[in-house]
Amino acid sequence: MSNWTRWVGYGVALAAVAFAVVLASRFGTDPGLVDSPLLDQAAPEFSLAPLEGGDPVSLEDLRGDIVVVNFFASWCLECRNEHDDLTSTADAFAGQDVTFVHIAYQESPPASLEFLETEGRSEAAHYLADPGSRTAIAYGVFGIPETFFIDEDGTVVGKIIGESDALILGATIDAIRRGETPGQNVTGDTQQRPDE
Amino acid sequence: MSDRIRNVATIAVLATMAVALAVLVLTNPSDADRVESIGERIKCPVCQGESIANSPSEMARDMMSLVEERVEEGASDEAIVDDLLASYSGAVLLDPPASGSTLVLWLAPLGALAVGMGVILWWKSHPSGEAIDRGPRPRSGGRRLVPLLVLAGAFAIVVVVAGFFLQEREGPASGIAGLAGENLDEVSNETMEAVIAANADNPQVDGMRLALAERYYEEGDFQSAFPHYFAVADSPDSTEPQAVTALVRLGWMTWQGNGEAGTALDLFDQALAIDPDSDTALYLKALVLWCGPGDFEQAAALLEEVLADPELTGESRDVVQSDLDAIESGATCS
Repeated sequence: MSNWTRWVGYGVALAAVAFAVVLASRFGTDPGLVDSPLLDQAAPEFSLAPLEGGDPVSLEDLRGDIVVVNFFASWCLECRNEHDDLTSTADAFAGQDVTFVHIAYQESPPASLEFLETEGRSEAAHYLADPGSRTAIAYGVFGIPETFFIDEDGTVVGKIIGESDALILGATIDAIRRGETPGQNVTGDTQQRPDE
Repeated sequence: MSDRIRNVATIAVLATMAVALAVLVLTNPSDADRVESIGERIKCPVCQGESIANSPSEMARDMMSLVEERVEEGASDEAIVDDLLASYSGAVLLDPPASGSTLVLWLAPLGALAVGMGVILWWKSHPSGEAIDRGPRPRSGGRRLVPLLVLAGAFAIVVVVAGFFLQEREGPASGIAGLAGENLDEVSNETMEAVIAANADNPQVDGMRLALAERYYEEGDFQSAFPHYFAVADSPDSTEPQAVTALVRLGWMTWQGNGEAGTALDLFDQALAIDPDSDTALYLKALVLWCGPGDFEQAAALLEEVLADPELTGESRDVVQSDLDAIESGATCS
């Protein structure tokens, strides 16, 4: 075999190994960890009733505020972990043109309400039901928790995939107030409903 | 026309009509077929490699229901898929799109086939390795470039792979510890309030409480500063310097805000019980004694104690000396 052939062989082998390594490294990774196509796009509109029933809350009604849309469920461990931080952040920014909207994901309202009764809730936040998962689908939710940040003009400017905390939430809101676009932040795993 | 010909013609006409009908049916699928067909193309986002048409999960059922609704509304297949792509990106398609970054997945087999055929053709055209001159032969410039090009290509691949692994995978710092790495100037009061409220039981929170209280104090917002200074002063986890700072600030704000000399002096004494050498506590106690009950003698003694500290220099020393001079001259507090 000539040197030329040998070198080509080495190159092809190396490229094949590198390609295999890249593919292998993707095994076990969360397929939901893709950049959301909603970033920098107009946020999908929604009009959802509170978990307790009553008048629906629509995104359009909240135009002019920074809106934090969090998808949660009682069966989600990460959602339980981040709940206190979401509540304290909603309270801290209450009356500051920042509104927190929590949308129950793949869960009946009674189960979500029981969770809120146990874990507490912010009086400044909205807790909404999403029948048929229409809003979750419109926001491209792969698993929860996922939290979207919508600026005053109704554009999606940030997303947290995984568990958030008060510092990440607050720092993201601070950045939006400065006119920045925080983008997507993967903080950890998301969860599917246990029986899925 | 004979019967036979007529029969053949009838059969031909019927067969043509049957074929036409079949074509019509096949080319105009029912709504249910369209829903199924679209569902087969969409990956269930909460499943492993299953289409929403085949997955029993509730999410898949919800998505199928949405597809059905859109079909009934008269939306085209592509419009329905495009809407889902707008929410989920190409990750929601079972077959990756033949464009962008996934184009390589479609082209790779073709490329491999082309390379393979090229190698076979080259091999067949040089069956006995005639092209490979076993004897000494001057190498052309092109031949000499081959190893370099191959090495460069391999190097590029290694760089790409390394970059893939070294790309930033960690989000920004989180939690209280994370604030140490953040630029506090860019963290709003509301964010700090939220972090403190969410971590009220965490001993690490005292530092942040004090930082926030100091920020309020500097802004003159005593009402917001008070509860945080109190929490730091009461916390069994706060350090001595933190507790002294909190008590001294509480004492001064009490005096400034309410003119309560007794409470203020008590708070300064608590601070001095922890750190008897605290210049700030001694100085402010002296000012309150001078301006409140008018105890010139004790105020002067405290200021002399402050001036005895060799580490007190510059403008601070001048201010203390000036106040001592005023007290000793019998001037009233201004």
